[in-house]
Amino acid sequence: MDYEIVMGLEVHVELATKSKLFCSCSAEFGAEANENVCPACAGMPGMLPLLNKKAVELGIRAGLVTNCEITRTITFDKKNYFYPDLPTGYQITQLYAPICRNGHVEIETEAGKKRIRIKQIHIEEDAGKLVHDYLPGSSLVDFNRASVPLVEIVSQPDFRSAEEVVAYLEKLRSLLTFADVSDCRMQEGSMRCDVNISVRKAGSDKLGVRTEIKNLNSLKAIVRAIEYEAERHITALETGCEELVQETRRWDENKGETYSMRDKEDATDYRYFPNPEILPVHISDEWISEIRNSLPELAHEKYERLTQSLGLSDYDSRLITSSRNISDIFDRTMEYVNNPKEVANWIIGDLASITKEENKAYDEIVIDCEKFGKIIKMVESKVINRTIGKKVLQLVFRDDIDPESYVRDNKLGMISDSGYLENIVKEVLSENEKSVSEFKAGNQKVIGFFMGQIMRKTQGKADPASVNSILMRELNNLR
Amino acid sequence: MDMQTVSKYEAMVKLDLPESERIWIAEKVSMLEDSFSKLSKVDTEGVEPLISVVTHDYSLREDIPVKLVSRDEILSNSPEQFDGYFLVPKTIE
Amino acid sequence: MDREFFVSKHDAKAENAFALDDNIMVRGGLTTAGSKMLHNFISPLQATVVDRLLAAGMELAGKTKLDEFAVPGISEGTCDILSGAVGAVAEGVCKVALCNDVSGKVRRQAPQNGLYYIHPTYGSVSRFGLIPAVSSMDQIGIVCKNIDDGFDTLGMIAGHDENDITTFPEKSYAYAPKEGKFRIGIPSNVLEEADEKSKELIYDFAGKHDAEETELKYFEVFSQVMYILSSAEIGNNTSRYDGVKFGYRADKFTGLNNLYTKTRTEGFGPDMKLLSVVGAYVLSKDNYEACYLKSMKIRRLIREHANELFSRFDAIILPIKLKDPDPYKNLALYAFATLCGLPSVSVPLGRNEGIQLVAQAKNENSLFGICKGGR
Ligand SMILES: [Zn+2]
Repeated sequence: MDYEIVMGLEVHVELATKSKLFCSCSAEFGAEANENVCPACAGMPGMLPLLNKKAVELGIRAGLVTNCEITRTITFDKKNYFYPDLPTGYQITQLYAPICRNGHVEIETEAGKKRIRIKQIHIEEDAGKLVHDYLPGSSLVDFNRASVPLVEIVSQPDFRSAEEVVAYLEKLRSLLTFADVSDCRMQEGSMRCDVNISVRKAGSDKLGVRTEIKNLNSLKAIVRAIEYEAERHITALETGCEELVQETRRWDENKGETYSMRDKEDATDYRYFPNPEILPVHISDEWISEIRNSLPELAHEKYERLTQSLGLSDYDSRLITSSRNISDIFDRTMEYVNNPKEVANWIIGDLASITKEENKAYDEIVIDCEKFGKIIKMVESKVINRTIGKKVLQLVFRDDIDPESYVRDNKLGMISDSGYLENIVKEVLSENEKSVSEFKAGNQKVIGFFMGQIMRKTQGKADPASVNSILMRELNNLR
Repeated sequence: MDMQTVSKYEAMVKLDLPESERIWIAEKVSMLEDSFSKLSKVDTEGVEPLISVVTHDYSLREDIPVKLVSRDEILSNSPEQFDGYFLVPKTIE
Repeated sequence: MDREFFVSKHDAKAENAFALDDNIMVRGGLTTAGSKMLHNFISPLQATVVDRLLAAGMELAGKTKLDEFAVPGISEGTCDILSGAVGAVAEGVCKVALCNDVSGKVRRQAPQNGLYYIHPTYGSVSRFGLIPAVSSMDQIGIVCKNIDDGFDTLGMIAGHDENDITTFPEKSYAYAPKEGKFRIGIPSNVLEEADEKSKELIYDFAGKHDAEETELKYFEVFSQVMYILSSAEIGNNTSRYDGVKFGYRADKFTGLNNLYTKTRTEGFGPDMKLLSVVGAYVLSKDNYEACYLKSMKIRRLIREHANELFSRFDAIILPIKLKDPDPYKNLALYAFATLCGLPSVSVPLGRNEGIQLVAQAKNENSLFGICKGGR
C-alpha cells in the first residue's frame, strides 16, 4: 500500500528589531539573564503596550517577499495561558486581523518547481527562556526574549515530503535574511518550525489524523522527525497497534522519537479576545510602497546581477547567493578588490574550505573583509603566492591577524629571483637522481614531487610560475 | 452552573477553591448566567464589536532601545531568585 | 482617625495635597492595589498623573484604601465599605483624591459624603502607572469637596502621554465652566427603578435647566454587558499574578501547578475569584459569541445611542443608586459613562444624597457649567 504524507508548516521567525515588540527593552541576543527586562516584559502591572513601528514594517516586508496581501487595518489579540516563560499570563498575538494573508513561495526540489501557499503571517511576542539543568528541582526563568517580536508564517498543507519542507525553509531563510526581516538562525532560535503532519492512502482525498510536532530546531531534526512521525502514522494505519489521536508531540533529539506532550488540563482553550490597549493600526498604500521601494536586493536579484553584470558563472553565483552572510562578504570584499571573479574564487575555493575545516556553516562565518581584500590584492600583485595567501587567510579567519604586517614580520614575500630559484632547482634535482631517471623514462608524475621539494626548501614562498619554468627547462636540459 | 463546571473554569484560571467558596461562586455564576441570557433579546445583527471607545490615530514607537530600570530593581520584587534568574519549581521531568 | 482610609500617609498641607488610591504608583513605594497578591510590591514606576501633580506643586498626602484591584464587587457587604479616597477627602486630609472608579462605588459614595466625583472622558488622563483592572474602561478620576479644585486638578493631569497611546493627542486641557442654559435629559426608564428621594432630587435639579424626559436604551442589559466585559479583562489583567515574578507567593507548594493555584487561591479575595471564573466562562470557546462578542456589540449600540442622545442633550441625569440595593443591578447606573468612555460628575445634593450627570466625550466643561449652576 502506498501512502501520501500531507504536511503544513508554522514557521516562527524573530524580527530583526533593536527593541522589543511592546516595550523599549533591547532585543539583542546573548545578554546576561534578565538584563534586557523592564517592568512591562517582566509582567508587572502599570505599563501599557507601545507597538514597535519597525516590527510592523518588517511584518509587511515578510509579506511582500512572500507575495502576500497586506491587511490595511491590523489589530492585536490576547491569548491566555499560564506558563512561567509567559510573564503576563497572556501572549499578544494576531488572531482576527493578521498582517498578511494569501501568499506563496516557489520552491525547487529534484522533482521540479512547486508553489507553496501561505495562509497568513501574523505578528506576536516571543516568550522567555527556561533553564532546567542548573539547579536540581528548579527551573530558572530569563525574560530577555520575552516580548521580542516574531512573525509566524503559516503555510497551507501543501508539503508532501521532507525534501519539500527543507527546500521551503531554505527559501524562506533566503527571502527573509536578504530582506533584513530576520537573521533566521535556527541554532539561536530565531527561526523555529512546527510541522503539522498526517498520512493518507495514495489517491485518497480524505485527510488522516493530524499531529503537530514542536521543538524542531535544525533542518536535520526536522527531516528526522518527519520521517519518524510519518513512519509511526503508517505503522499505526497498517497494523492498528496504536490509535492515532490529534495531538501535539515533541521531538526528542537524543532518542530520535516524537512523544506526546501530556494533555494539560486546560491547554486547548486559550480564551482569545481583542486587546483594547492596542488601537487598530492603519497601513496606508504609501507606507507599503515606501517599504517595497526600500527592500534590499533579494537573492534572485543578486543572482541576476552576479551572472549578468559581473559575469560570474551560474555555479559561483548560486553559491554566493545561497547565504546572506556569504553574499555580504562578497559585496564587502568587492569594495576593496574590484575583481568579481577573483573574489568569487577566493570565497568559493579558499574561504569555503577553511569554513569546512573549522566546522562552521556559511551563515556563521565572520571575517574582516578589508583584510580579506588585502590578501587577495597581495596575491594579485605577486607580493605573496597563493599558497601563502591561503595560510594568511586562515590566520585572519582564526585570529584576526593583520595580513600585511604578518607577511612582513614573517618574511613571507614571494621569491622570484631566478638565479636563487635556479640554484634550488638544481639542488633538488641532484638530490633526487632516482626520480630524475624516472622522469627520463617518461614518468610525468614526478614533476609534482619536484615542485613540492622546491617549495619546501623555500618555505612555500617561491613564485610557482617561475619555479615551474626553471624546473621544466632544467629537466629538458637533462634529457 | 454545577460544581464540576465551576472547577473546569477554576482550573483554567489556576484557582483551587475550598468547597465553601466553590458553592458561593456556583450560586453567583448561576445567577449571572440567568441574567446574561437577557442579552440574546438585543438585536445585534450587523453590528461591529466595540473594542475601545477611542479611535484617534496615533504614532507607533520608534525602534530605539532604552534601558528603563536595572536588573536588580526588577528582581528585587521576586519571591525567589538565583543568579539573575527568577526561580520556579522544575517545569519538566 | 484619618488613618483608617490610608494605607500609607505623608505629612502634607491639606489645602495643597492629593491622595492616591493604592493602585496608582509612586516610584519606590509600596503599591498593593488592595490585594494580598501585591502586599509587598515595590513599584519600579511612577504614574504619569503623579509626575504631573508633583510638577504642578502639589504634595502627596498618602495612599488610600480601595477594593481589591478596584473591581466591581458584587459580594455581600463590599459595597458598604467606605472608599479610602472618599474618606480622605471627606476628612479634610487632602484637597483631592485620585482613584479608578470602574465599579461606580466612588460615584455613589462621594455625593453621600458631601463630595463631587469627576470621572473624565476615557483618553483624557494617562493610565500609565495605574494597576489595570478593566483596560478598556479604566480611567483615573478625582474626588473633591470643591468642584473648582476638582477641575483644576483635572487640568493638571489631563493631556497626551506618549506612554499611553489611548490618550488623546491634545497636549493639555484647561477646564472652565461652560455658560448658558443646558438641555438635560431625564431617562424615565431609569428613574422607574430609583427610590422616591432620588427622583425628587433629579426633577428638582433638572428643573433649573431645560429638562426633558427621554429613554436610556439598553439600560436593562447594562449590568450584564459591564460585568461580562469587566470580568474578562480583569481576569486577563490579573493572570500575571502567579507567585513567580513579584508579589505574594504561597508558603508551601508541590510543583508548578500547585504554586500557581495555591498562590492565586490564597492571594485573591472572593470578588476577584468570582470575576476570574466568570472571565474564563465568558471568553471560553463555548460562550465567547453569546457572551463576550455579544457584549462588545451591544457596547457599540450603547455608544451609538449615546451619540444620538447627546445630539439632543448637553447631559443625561442619573440617580446614584437604585431602589434595589443589589450591587450587581446598581452597576447599570455607572455603566453608561464607563462603557462609553463618557465624562460624568457625581454631584452632592441635600443630606448624603446626590445625582450624576453624564455628557458627551470631551464635554467636561458642560458638566462643570451645570455644576456651577448655569446661567
Ligand atoms: Zn521590556
